[in-house]
Amino acid sequence: MSLARFIERLLQLIPVLLGVSAIVFVMITLTPGDPVEIMIGDQIVTPEQEEALRRDLGLDRPMLERFGLFLGNAVQGDFGESFYHRRPVAEVIAERLPATIELSLVALLVALFTAIPLGVLAAIKKNSIFDRMATVGSLLGVSLPGFWFGILLLMLFAVHLQILPVSGRIGFSSEIEPITHFLLIDTLLRGRPDAFLDALSHIILPAITLGLPMTAILMRVTRTSMLEVLRQDYITFAEAKGLSRHRILWRHALKNALIPTVSVAAIETGSLLGGNMIVETVFGWPGLGRLVVESIFVRNYPLVQAAVLFYAVTYVLLNFIADILYTVLNPRVKL
Amino acid sequence: MTAVMREGEAVANTAAAEESIFRRNLHSFAENRLALGSAIVVLLFVLMAIFAPLIAPHDPAETDLFRRLQPPAWMPGGEWSYLLGCDALGRDILSRIIYGARISIFIGAAVVMVATTIGIMAGLAAGYFRGWVDVLISRVVDILLGFPYLIFAIGLMAMMGPGLINIILALVYKEWVIPCRVVRGETLVTRELEYVEAARALGASGKHIMLREILPNILSPVIVVSTIRMAHVIILEASLSFLGLGVQPPTASWGAMVADGRAFILQAWWVSTFPGVAILLLVLAINVASQGLRDAFDPRFHE
Amino acid sequence: MKTMSRLLAVSVLAMATAAPIANAQDLIVGFTQDAATLDPGNHRNRETETIIRNMFDGILTRDSAMSIQPELAASYTQVSPTVYDFKIREGVKFHDGSNMTAEDVKFTLDRLTREGAMGNDQTSPRKSLLGPIESVEVTDATTVRVTLSEPWPLLPAMLPFQEIVSKNFVETVGTEGMATQANGTGPFKLVDWRKGDSIIMERFDDYYGGADGIQPAGKACVDRAIFKIIPESASRVAALLAGDVHIINELPPFAVEQVKNSQTADVMTVNGTRSFFIAMNLEGETFDDIQVRQAVAHALDKDLIIDRILGGNAASISGILSPDAFGKNTDLPEYSYDPEKARALLAEAGFPDGIEVTMDTTGAFKDTAEAVASLLTRAGINTKVAVGEAAILNEKWRTQGGPKEGDMYFTSWGNGSLDPQGIFVPTHVTNARGNSAGYSSDKVDALLDAAATEVDREKRAAMYQEAEAIANADLPYVYLWVPQDIYGVSKRLSGWQPSPDSRINLHDACLN
Repeated sequence: MSLARFIERLLQLIPVLLGVSAIVFVMITLTPGDPVEIMIGDQIVTPEQEEALRRDLGLDRPMLERFGLFLGNAVQGDFGESFYHRRPVAEVIAERLPATIELSLVALLVALFTAIPLGVLAAIKKNSIFDRMATVGSLLGVSLPGFWFGILLLMLFAVHLQILPVSGRIGFSSEIEPITHFLLIDTLLRGRPDAFLDALSHIILPAITLGLPMTAILMRVTRTSMLEVLRQDYITFAEAKGLSRHRILWRHALKNALIPTVSVAAIETGSLLGGNMIVETVFGWPGLGRLVVESIFVRNYPLVQAAVLFYAVTYVLLNFIADILYTVLNPRVKL
Repeated sequence: MTAVMREGEAVANTAAAEESIFRRNLHSFAENRLALGSAIVVLLFVLMAIFAPLIAPHDPAETDLFRRLQPPAWMPGGEWSYLLGCDALGRDILSRIIYGARISIFIGAAVVMVATTIGIMAGLAAGYFRGWVDVLISRVVDILLGFPYLIFAIGLMAMMGPGLINIILALVYKEWVIPCRVVRGETLVTRELEYVEAARALGASGKHIMLREILPNILSPVIVVSTIRMAHVIILEASLSFLGLGVQPPTASWGAMVADGRAFILQAWWVSTFPGVAILLLVLAINVASQGLRDAFDPRFHE
Repeated sequence: MKTMSRLLAVSVLAMATAAPIANAQDLIVGFTQDAATLDPGNHRNRETETIIRNMFDGILTRDSAMSIQPELAASYTQVSPTVYDFKIREGVKFHDGSNMTAEDVKFTLDRLTREGAMGNDQTSPRKSLLGPIESVEVTDATTVRVTLSEPWPLLPAMLPFQEIVSKNFVETVGTEGMATQANGTGPFKLVDWRKGDSIIMERFDDYYGGADGIQPAGKACVDRAIFKIIPESASRVAALLAGDVHIINELPPFAVEQVKNSQTADVMTVNGTRSFFIAMNLEGETFDDIQVRQAVAHALDKDLIIDRILGGNAASISGILSPDAFGKNTDLPEYSYDPEKARALLAEAGFPDGIEVTMDTTGAFKDTAEAVASLLTRAGINTKVAVGEAAILNEKWRTQGGPKEGDMYFTSWGNGSLDPQGIFVPTHVTNARGNSAGYSSDKVDALLDAAATEVDREKRAAMYQEAEAIANADLPYVYLWVPQDIYGVSKRLSGWQPSPDSRINLHDACLN
C-alpha cells in the first residue's frame, strides 16, 4: 500500500468522526430527560442547589457552545467528565475496555477455529450429509437470539451442572497484578495457571454466545470461497502435476480461500465489539457495552459521546485492516 | 417511430426472457425441499399472526394472579387449557406467543420494506449519477455504519420514546444502508452494460433508465438480501424488547417475554424458554428459505 | 523470537512453582450495582453508599433497631435548637495510619456543605442532604460544634449517611484521587476495585472497634469482604445457591421459596423504607373529582397483589409514611376492596360506563403495574399501562407546579432516614419536587412547615399524624405498600442482620 493511499484513508476518518459526533449531539439535544433530576432521585433539594449541580456539570450552557467545547477538547484527547462517576470519561472507558476487547477476541478465536475447519470440510465433501448438516447448523447459528441462548447456556452449565461460574471475569482467589489487563494473558505472564483456568472458565460461555453468529457467517464464507478456489485452473494444474490431494488442499487451496474469510472476520469484529451489551448483561461481564446502555438510561452524555466515537474509530480501522489483510494475503489485489 | 417500436419489442423480449428465467428459478427453489418446507413454516407463522384472535385459546392480556407461573400442561400443576403454562401475571403463554408473532412479523416486514425502498432509491441515485450525489450518499452511509446497530437503535428509542412506530423508525434509520450499498454496487456495474447504453442513446430519461432498465435487473439480489435482513431485524426487535425498549404492554412481544421471564428462569423456565423457541423457529425458517431463494435466484451463489 | 521462547520457559517454570492460593476467609456479597465512585462526598447514589460505608465510618450510625448511635463521635449533645456539639472519639486511625481528629470532621462537613469546596469550583452533590448547616467549628481538640441557620431536627438522622474523610489525604490526592482511593476509618480497607465487577476489601487491623452501642465491638470478623456486582437477579440467586456468594440483596419474592428450601442458604427480611403509591393527576379532568379517586382506591385489592406478586413481603399503607417511620398515623381509615362501590362512585361522578385512563410506570415495576391495571379495569377504570424511562417520566410527572399531562403514575419514593421530612414534604407540599399528583392543601403545607422546625418530638409527631389524616381523606394518591427488603444469606453466615436503611454492614459478619 502506498503512503498516499494510507494518508487518504486516514483523512476519510475525519468526516466520519465529525458526522458521528454531530449525530450523537443532535440526538442528545432531542432526547428528553434531565441528568440532574436522575442524580437527585428521591431527595429534597432546593431549586438553587439544583441549579448549582447543573452548573457543575456544564449543563447550563447553550447546546452549540457545549458541542464546540466537546469537539475542541476531544481533539486534545479530553472527553470530559462522566456525570455519574465524576471522573474523566476516558479513564472510565479505559477501565471497561479490556474486558470488552478480551471477550470479543476470544469470541473471534472461537469463531475462526470452528468455522474454518468446518467450512473447508463442507466444501471438500460438497453435498454430502456433513455439508448439509453444516449448512443447517450455520443457519441455526445466525438464527439463535443471543440473549436467549446465553440464558439457556447459563442455566445448563452454571446452575444445573455447576461446572462453570455464573457471572464475572475471574474468581477472588486469583489476585493478578495487571500487566496487559487481559486476564487470560496476565494470568499466564504472572505464572498462575490456576488463575488462567479460572479466567477461561468465566469467559467461555459469553464467548460462545457472542461468537456463534460469527462462526456461522465465517463458515459460509469459507465454504463458498474454498469451492471457488477448488475450481481454479492452478488447482487442476497441481492435481495434474501429481501433488497429493492433502497438500493441494491445505497448502494451496486453503491459503487463497482464506482471504475472504479473514477480511470478513476483521469487519465483523467491529460488530462483536459494538454488539456485546446483550451478552454482557446476561453474563454480568464488566464491559463497555453494558456501561454505554446504562449511561444512555441515566443520560450520562459525556460517556455516551466518547464511547460512540470509540466505536466509530474501531469500525473504520477494522475496515482498513480488512483491506490490508486482503492485499497482504492476495498479492494480485492492488489497493 | 421505429425507435419506439424497437424499444417496445426489446422490452417485450426482455420481459418474456425474464419471465422464463423467473419460472425456472421458482422451479429450482421448489425442488429444494428444505427451503420449500421453511417457506411453508414462515407462511404458517404469517397465518398464525393474521388469524391470532381465532387461534389463540385465551385473551393474551387477560391476567389471573391465581395462575401465576403455572407450569406447562404436561408438568404437575399444569392444565391442558394452558398448554405452555402461564407467565408471572397468569397470562397464557401460548396465546401470547401467537399474538407476539404479529409484532415480530409486522416489524420485520415493515422495517425491511421501508428500508429497502429507501435503500433502492438512494443506491440507484448514487450508482447512476455518481459524482457529488454518490459522494454525499456514501458519506452518510459511512457515518451510519460507524454506529453500532443496537446502540444507535437504543439511543433513538430513548429519543423518541417507546411504541410500535418508533421501533420501526429506530431500526429503519440504519437498516436502509444495507440495501443501499447492494443497489449502489449493482447499479455501478449495470449502468455500463450495453442495453443501458442503448437506452441512453435512444434518449430515455434518467428516471426511466433507473426504474425500468436497471432496477428490474438488480432486483433479485436485493430481494435475497432483504429476506435475510428480515431475519436480522426480527432478532434486533427482540433484542430491543429484551432491553425494555419495545412495544407497550400488554401487547405481547417475544423479546419482551424472554426478558420478563429471565428473572424467573430458576423457578419457571417455561416463561422465557418458549418465546425464545418461537423466535428461533421463525428466524431459522426465514434464513433457510432465503438461502434457498439465493441459491435459486442469484446465479453467482450457485454452488 | 528468542525473548519469546525465554518468556515461555520462564512462565512454564513459574507455573510449576506457583504458590498455592492463600486461604483467606472471603465474605462475598452478590450486589446489584457497582459503586459510582469511592468518594463519600461526590455522589447521590444509594448503592455506592452501601458499599463504601464498610470502609468509612460516620460521626453517627444506626443500630439494627434503627436508633441512632454515636460512632466516630463519643457522644453528642444538642446545646440549643440550632447548635449541636459532637465529642469526637480519640485514638481512631485512618487506614493510612494517621490519627483522625476533630479537624478531619470539620473538614468533611465543610467539604460537603460549602459552595465550591470540592475544588475546581464544584460543590458537593450531597450539600442538600445536610440542610441548613451554617458553620462547623472545632471548639477544642475533641469537640466539633455544628451551627444551623434554623432548627432542623433531622440532623442526627442524616449524619449516619455522611462518612468522615482525612483532611490531609484529600488535600494530597485531590477530589480526582478520592474517586478511586479510599482512606477511611471503617472496619475494612480497600484492596482492589475491579470496576464493574467487584470491590475487594480486607480487614483493617487498627480499627477502633466501632460504635460502643453496637456489640460486639472490635475488629471485623472475616479476613476480606467483597462486593461482587451481579445485576441479573436470577444470576444472583444462582450464585447464592451455588455457594459462590454469601449475601445477596434484592432477592426477588418469587425466589424466596426456592432459597428457603435449599441446603445452603436462607432468607432474611427487614422492613423497607420505600413507599409505593399511584399518583392521580389532580389537574386532569378525570381525577379532579374525589369520587373518581375514591373509586380507584376501592377498586384495588392490595392484599391480593401483596400476597401473589410480592409474596406477602410488604406492608399495606394508607398514608405516605412507612409503618416504621417517625410520626406514622396508625389509625388511618382503610379504603377497603369493593369493586361494586367503585363502580357506584364512578357512576355518581358522572361516569356510569366507566373511564379510560393510562397509568405510567418504569420498566422495573411493569409486572405490578399491569396487575394493578387489570384489577382497576375489572371495576370499570379501564387502565392501560405505559412503560417509560425514569428519565422521561420524571420530566412528565415532576413538574413542580408546571402544567402536567397524564392520568396516573405508578411510582415510589424512598425514605432511608425514616423521618417524614424526607418523604412527606417532597410528595405533598404544594409544587414540591415529587408532588406528582399536583396536590395542594394549605393545611398540610402549614403542618409540614411547622413540623420541620418543631423541636418537641411529641408535638412534631402529632403534626405529621394530622397531616397524614388530611391527605388520606383528600386522596391525591392511592397509597399502596412498603415492600420488605429481602436478602438471601448463606447458612455459613452469622452475626449479620439486614438493616432497614439498606446498608450492608459487614463489620460483625462471620463465616463458619
